[in-house]
Parts: sequence; structure tokens; C-alpha cells
Amino acid sequence: MGQTNPPFMSGVPELLLLRLLEQREMYGYELVKTIRLVTGEAISLGEGVIYPVLHALERNGALRARRRKVAGRTRVYYSVNSRGRQRLATLQNEWLRIQSGISAALQAPSNA
Amino acid sequence: MPDNPFCALECELLEAGISPRQVRRIVMELEDHVEDLREEALAGGMSFNEATDFARRRIGHQAHIAERVLSTPELRPWIYRYPRFARLYLPLAYVLLLPAAPVFANPGRVFRWSAALMLSAAVTATMMLCMQLAIALS
Repeated sequence: MGQTNPPFMSGVPELLLLRLLEQREMYGYELVKTIRLVTGEAISLGEGVIYPVLHALERNGALRARRRKVAGRTRVYYSVNSRGRQRLATLQNEWLRIQSGISAALQAPSNA
Repeated sequence: MPDNPFCALECELLEAGISPRQVRRIVMELEDHVEDLREEALAGGMSFNEATDFARRRIGHQAHIAERVLSTPELRPWIYRYPRFARLYLPLAYVLLLPAAPVFANPGRVFRWSAALMLSAAVTATMMLCMQLAIALS
């Protein structure tokens, strides 16, 4: 397995999954592949770990799951519902706030 | 790969009280994911054994997956998520349900059985409540 991300990335998989699923419904493998692609492999999830996150989001009512038979295989496709969109908006705002705070701290002259 | 490569994960999750339905679905999705990874590797020119190793590496350690499932409150039974409620609810449910058992089992003997069962349920429930109180106050 490749290098996975440190603990401060907690909450990031949830944000990414909601963002990607907002665009179109996808299944687990497809999601991991897309995350690698859109983040330029900067974010590398332990691939099996994606399922507890997806299932938790589904339990919270943020995602809808449905089984589809594709080429003789049954796959579970996930899509975002209205609650998921609200959660995504909250997470996005939170992330942007943290990001601007960290950027400000990194750009500030060191006075330690 | 063995028939069920996620056997250890499945057992660990079931033993930890995750619902069998949830466990089956996690394992089914993981197996499907491994199959996709293997196909990707085979398409990239790897041999079957190399592709299987690649898929195993990418899916990650089963212990990590189990850890993640068990640290997700939404996936745990309600008894783990609301322990205080469970401590109160279970003894009360026991008191209410046990005397009603003979009604479903043998309606003819309902009067003979219910008094004895009511008493035993009350004693048991009192003991359970005392134990829960002792745990809560300790």
C-alpha cells in the first residue's frame, strides 16, 4: 500500500467523497480512482477504509446507496441527497476557514 | 486468494457486535474492489499472482479497516452508541416482555405462569438495575 495520510487529514475523506458524489453517482473503486486523479495522488486513502466512511455517511442520511448489476457484477452506487449537500456545504466552509487560517499563519513573518 | 480473503475481518467485526447485514455488505464491497484492482493490474500487464499482491496491498490491512469500522459510531449497534439509555431501557423491557411470554407461548396456562414469571422478572430486573447503578456510581 502506498503512503497514507496523517491523522490531521481526519474529515477530508468525507469532504472529498461528498464533493465527488455531488457530481455523479459512483461506486467505491471508482471513487478511490477519482480521488487519486483529481488530487494528483496527493491524497491517498487506504482503499478499504473508504467503505466505513461511505456507510457512516449513508447511516447519517447524507448518502443514498443502490445496487446495480453491471457486466454480471452487483455494485453499490452512492449518490448525495439533500442532507448530504447541506453537510458538504458545512464541511467546505469549515475547510476554507481552516485553510485560510493556516495560509495566514504560514505567510506571517516568524516572530518566535 | 482464498475463497474468503476477508474472513479475519468478518469474524472481528461480528465479534465486536457489528450487524451481520452490515458486515456482509462491507465484505461484499471489499471483494468487489479487490476484483477491480486485480483487473486493473492484469490490464497493466502483471501476472495473476502479481496482480493479486497488488490488489491486497492497495486495499490495505484488514486490521486498519476493522479499526476504522469499530471507531465509527454510526456503524455500531445502538447499545454502544447510547449506553446510558440501554442501561435503563433493557431492564425495563425485560420486566415488561417476560410476563407476556406465556401469552404467546401457551395462552391456556397464562394465569399460572404469569405470576411466577412476573416475580422472577421483577427480581432479575431489580438485580440488573442494582448492577447498573453500582457501575454508574463506582
